[in-house]
Amino acid sequence: MSKTALLEVRDARKSFGGVHAVDGVSLSLAPGEVLAVLGHNGAGKSTLMQMLAGALPFDGGELLLNGQPVKFASPADSRAAGIETIHQKLALADNLDSVANLFLGRELRTRFGLLDDAAMRAAAVPLFARLNPNFKNIADPVMSLSGGQRQVVAIARALQFKARVLIMDEPCAALGPAETAMVHDLIRRLSAEGVGILLVTHDMPDVFALSSRLMVMKNGRPVATCRTADVTEDEVLAMIIAGKAPATA
Amino acid sequence: MAAVLVAIAIGFHGLTGSFLTAENLYNIAQQTAVVGIVASGMALIIVARQIDLSVGSLLGAVGVLMAWLQYTQGWPVVAALLAGLGLALAVGLFQGWLSAVVGIPSFVVTLGGLVSLRGVAFLVADGKTQPVTEPWLLALGGGLEGSLGERGSWLLGVGLILLLWGWQMLQRRAQARAGALPGNFTHDLLKAGLAAFAVFGTVAVFNAYRIEGQEQGQGLPLPLVIWVAVVLLLGFVARHTRFGRYVYAIGGNPDAARLAGIPVRRVMIQLNLLLAALVALAAVVAMARLNAGTNSMGTGMELTVIAAAVIGGVSLAGGSGSVGGTVLGALIIQSIDSGLLLTDVSIGWRMVVLGQVLVAAVVFDRVVQK
Repeated sequence: MSKTALLEVRDARKSFGGVHAVDGVSLSLAPGEVLAVLGHNGAGKSTLMQMLAGALPFDGGELLLNGQPVKFASPADSRAAGIETIHQKLALADNLDSVANLFLGRELRTRFGLLDDAAMRAAAVPLFARLNPNFKNIADPVMSLSGGQRQVVAIARALQFKARVLIMDEPCAALGPAETAMVHDLIRRLSAEGVGILLVTHDMPDVFALSSRLMVMKNGRPVATCRTADVTEDEVLAMIIAGKAPATA
Repeated sequence: MAAVLVAIAIGFHGLTGSFLTAENLYNIAQQTAVVGIVASGMALIIVARQIDLSVGSLLGAVGVLMAWLQYTQGWPVVAALLAGLGLALAVGLFQGWLSAVVGIPSFVVTLGGLVSLRGVAFLVADGKTQPVTEPWLLALGGGLEGSLGERGSWLLGVGLILLLWGWQMLQRRAQARAGALPGNFTHDLLKAGLAAFAVFGTVAVFNAYRIEGQEQGQGLPLPLVIWVAVVLLLGFVARHTRFGRYVYAIGGNPDAARLAGIPVRRVMIQLNLLLAALVALAAVVAMARLNAGTNSMGTGMELTVIAAAVIGGVSLAGGSGSVGGTVLGALIIQSIDSGLLLTDVSIGWRMVVLGQVLVAAVVFDRVVQK
């Protein structure tokens, strides 16, 4: 922790009308690291992730990128800083096709300022093919795609725009086994490329298959942060339910 | 919907024997333009999950203001028209701010506008009709002097087709350069051919309309030219600019648009300003057609405009529909209205039928989607 972390949160706070949704959370993320963030519904995980994504402002605390303090006024700021967020309800415009969604908010334009559909399509085709060779219907509205394909579109954003930090909120919640395996594979590849990943999840197999460290939250407060290899599944469950750090950690 | 329009036209022609004449088609084109201009902007408003009920009243207020400044206040014509545009933009900015920034549903904001702006239309000239006499202004309303003539119509038609073909070729070249597969060639060829057929067919029909005492055919009426220009421009903006992409993204999923870093509020306000500008333009055409600005201009127009958009395939749920579709929608409504008029159907029955046509279009939309 002494060397400069990719992303560091110090004492983050957020409350909604007297309810402390996030209450003094600190964490740090190194390049290539997968940090799982666990907790019950309402533990404050999603709120914390939305704060990092620039969708909610901090009430208190600090956010540092590469050791530099930053403040996000909007999701665009967070993305510009290299943080890509895959929201739980995939933030896709269902009526637009995969290419439009991949570039949503960051469209390529011709020198006349018009949308450069040809260039966007040319960039998207090999990218989608690399992520999922079976993904051919990229010109269809994303509402007609399967859950796994929609997840590919969301993850492709991180690759296209060279994200340094990827926040994933329940990336496998609505996926079948084959699609889950595909997403796991993608997460490993991104991590191998040096992307720091914050993985918010309920799912124990996800945590143990992917993460190197894990952080448990309860009622907006951090319960404990430990190396995934040092704890058992039962101990993690105990932390989530009882909110007590295990003796071994 | 194109098939529906053709069926309506053939049906009324069978009943009256005078529907598919150059004269009647010329009149329908002129009459539809005002609704059509506003409907093309309304399409984008509805795509973005908003509604604007104030367009008819705004058209009245702006139209009366423009005519009153010329007739009663003696302003130069252009200054009066710009003042009308200014009023429209101010209203658009205010209503856009209320719905996008303050967060009041656009239905409520513009329902208030519907009532208040009709009041403004009365207040401006104290309820008195304001005549308009400037010849070039009156020409924008069509009629005897307000058309391009035979040669002008052919020139515009050829120019339009060359523009469309050139654009298609540019698109294919850009696709090839970017290494993406260009679209199907036969498909593009078919599209190019259909466009040429439609444009030249339209020109031929309007050139065939000769008013007694005139040496040559009327050609394209100016209201139609303005309407087509608006539709082409807006269709282009919707399809090929970031603004257009954002309008559709907001309509498809407002949360996703916000999380993707789209400046949702700014886009919504720009959209309101765009529609307001179109209403001002439509007010000029309406005023020129009436030869006056009156406090009742545009009464009830909001519903015809919304109906044109919906019949043209714009989903009231937002996110889908096109600017081009509103052309068909507006023509269908106007054709039914005009056809019922020709068959001597009373005003009461006309209203009954037109109302149910709107309902039928939405039912049709539901059935097709399922």
